[in-house]
Amino acid sequence: MEKLKKKIGSISFWKWVIASVIFRLILIYFPQNLNLSSRPEVSTPLTSFRRLAEGYWLKQSSMSPYAGSMYHGSPLLLLLLGPLTVKRIEGQPNHILYSLVSVIADLVSAMLIRATGQNLQLAYLRTLGSLDLVKQIEGSEIHPSGDVAALIYLCNPFTIVACVGLSTSPIENMAVILCLYGACSRLIPLAAFGWVIATHLSLYPAILIIPVIFLLGRGPDAPPWKLFLQRHQQNGMLNQSKLPPGFSWGPIIRFAFWSLVWSVYVLVLCGISLKQFGGLWEMFKSTYGFILTVEDLSPNIGVLWYFFAEVFEFFRSFFLIVFHVNILFMILPLAIRLHHRPCYLAFVYVAIFSMLKSYPSVGDSALYLGLLGWFVNEFSDMQFSLFLFCGYVGVSLLSPVMHNLWIWRGTGNANFYFATAMVYACLQIVLVVEGVSAMLNHERKLRRLITGKTQDSKSGLLSDSSP
Amino acid sequence: METFNNSKPILLFLLLPCLLLYSLIAFNSSSVEAAMHTNNWAVLVCTSRFWFNYRHMANTLSLYRTVKRLGIPDERIILMLADDMACNTRNKYPAQVFNNENHRLNLYGDNVEVDYRGYEVTVENFLRVLTGRHETAVPRSKRLLSDEGSHILLYMTGHGGDEFLKFQDSEELQSHDLADAVKQMKEKHRFKELLIMVDTCQAATLFNQLQSPGVLAIGSSMKGENSYSHHLDSDVGVSVVDRFTYYTLAFFERLNIYDNASLSSLFSSYNPSLLMSTAYYRKDPYKRNLEEVPVTNFFGSVMETIHTDAAYKALSRINSGRFEAQTSLDQSVHHIERRMPMKVNDQEETHNIIPEGNKQLLQGEEGASKCPWSTFCNKFRKGENVDILVNYGLVAMIPLLVILTWLVQ
Repeated sequence: MEKLKKKIGSISFWKWVIASVIFRLILIYFPQNLNLSSRPEVSTPLTSFRRLAEGYWLKQSSMSPYAGSMYHGSPLLLLLLGPLTVKRIEGQPNHILYSLVSVIADLVSAMLIRATGQNLQLAYLRTLGSLDLVKQIEGSEIHPSGDVAALIYLCNPFTIVACVGLSTSPIENMAVILCLYGACSRLIPLAAFGWVIATHLSLYPAILIIPVIFLLGRGPDAPPWKLFLQRHQQNGMLNQSKLPPGFSWGPIIRFAFWSLVWSVYVLVLCGISLKQFGGLWEMFKSTYGFILTVEDLSPNIGVLWYFFAEVFEFFRSFFLIVFHVNILFMILPLAIRLHHRPCYLAFVYVAIFSMLKSYPSVGDSALYLGLLGWFVNEFSDMQFSLFLFCGYVGVSLLSPVMHNLWIWRGTGNANFYFATAMVYACLQIVLVVEGVSAMLNHERKLRRLITGKTQDSKSGLLSDSSP
Repeated sequence: METFNNSKPILLFLLLPCLLLYSLIAFNSSSVEAAMHTNNWAVLVCTSRFWFNYRHMANTLSLYRTVKRLGIPDERIILMLADDMACNTRNKYPAQVFNNENHRLNLYGDNVEVDYRGYEVTVENFLRVLTGRHETAVPRSKRLLSDEGSHILLYMTGHGGDEFLKFQDSEELQSHDLADAVKQMKEKHRFKELLIMVDTCQAATLFNQLQSPGVLAIGSSMKGENSYSHHLDSDVGVSVVDRFTYYTLAFFERLNIYDNASLSSLFSSYNPSLLMSTAYYRKDPYKRNLEEVPVTNFFGSVMETIHTDAAYKALSRINSGRFEAQTSLDQSVHHIERRMPMKVNDQEETHNIIPEGNKQLLQGEEGASKCPWSTFCNKFRKGENVDILVNYGLVAMIPLLVILTWLVQ
């Protein structure tokens, strides 16, 4: 029965995958990609397709690709995707090759999410087994979190819009997911590669090194160590085989080595390709410097542009520091509280930097919404879930409307658009906060189950009354 | 820790391309070699104000016309006129400037581009033009954008004296200022050869202090002598041309762009009795034999053409960048970096020089060394294979990742 259920589940999974791919392909064939690449929610100065094409053209004209402050991405992306921006095939829509690359990137990301989710679920079941809680949980329905997460990622309208809108977010997301997959499956060169590429493409995934260290050192998500101790204390003996392994430093040292190797490789390649145009310093100034100093204040779905349009020059550096430290402040407390659940920590970090980065787009939200699917079982009793869902739908419908009112019709002003951006930020904050509290509730539930068992075994006779 | 032993060969395998790349980069900072003559510039300066100095304006405009006729375009001429004679209220022929009383030639046609006019002609601006130290807002048309392959003609006329030249009737350019500016230009590789031509009284004293190599200077008169005007135009009311410039123009009017009259023939055409002064030239800093130097090296713009049989890919943008690299083939990549921003002026000059000819030169080099390493390094120096190398590196990343993941598992 279980096997049949699983088989049906997997067939319907593949149906959904194929349906989403076909849907993307249909949308690609619409004229001009539905003008999605001109939407500020989709294309930011970092992910815009037009800027990539401009950077490629500048490179081909023997000028620095960063001239004119148009392109702010990696020179390796220029080499990979640049020729695709100009190649045209007769009778097909304009940027079909690039769109196909985005679709493939999405597909690969979804497969990796699925594999990691399955890994996580196996680890979860194993920990339940070692806590002797399998019987309690078996009654309630456990969804295959890997499949759910992959489907959420693929069928999320945000992901589809980011893919069809020709932004570079699918590739950045693929790098992040590759890193997490490698860390979960203990494939250290892969994890190092993913981390280096993700940091190279956009600066913020650098903070994912902390969950990766925890993943490599300890393994995938598990309840806190205390619970295991409590569980086995009641038996009066400590069954070593059932305890999860302690923290090991070996994989971390190997990870450091491999990330060094990959960073040197990437930096050497970038240095060679930019040798005539100022070298690596120019690249760092135009990519990381641009991200950190928020030079471009064109509207997007974040909150920084509005603020930095009105802040005085004197206070600009101060507020830049404030905004960036806002992300950094949250790293340590979350790491302390959630160190035993590194994948969940990664999800929270991704949500935080997708929300607070200098140029957010819906492609970044697509990433953490996909990773949310890994924890459907823990989030089953999350508060405000309907509110958040309706909020996301509302913001994604209202935000283009407000943009149109402001820019095209002139009957609105920047406050209209910024209001939707603020609501979006609020929704994301509520999601993160509720998500963390749901995870902590789940752990409390587990603890209650264990201590309940302890009580039962201690009181002996009273346990017969439980069904 | 067994995996470390396993990964040692992989480590070496990875270090090898890094070492290769590093040595290639180090290889490129080779020594500087002599530059090829690639473009010509002209800086024509008239330093006098007031209506009665009409002839200085006419001198400069005549040289301007000659130099343009023989091929130097306006982008490479810096014309500095201290006053406006053509539209002066005392000019009977408005918007016309003549250098002869027969009024045959109107020097101020509709094709005159004056870069520095009126009060902008100062000693400071002149020295800024020469040394290239401008404020950031100065437009490109007012800059001397020469490089180490340029031949520059510097012509100055006005009132001068013993080791000075008067600017605007209020300040002086002294000979050591000029020598200093030329020395700075040489340091900054702003010219390959410089011809200074001065038409003032006691002109030869102005370049007494010159010592920079590659500079040839000729003045209309020596110390203690005056330079005289040629004739008075009674219709316009002032003298319209100086003798030195008049005979220079007489020499050039006989020439067209294809003649290869030498500088020595120009210099020997000056007759001291006709000039009423001794045209003195200094050629000790200039190492070449004047008989071999055609006048069009300075006064015109005629480039060496190398004929090849290969097709010319004019429209490919990558190649246009490569042409710049290949014209200075004997130089190292170091020089190419510096020339990259100055694209505008070199396009015209370099279109005659085609890659295949340089490839033949290269193959000659290769024949001498017969080493695949130097072939690779030469190709790398050309700059065309950089992108291909990075492409290979990028594409190699994926299989490398797969292999490493599989091995280290």
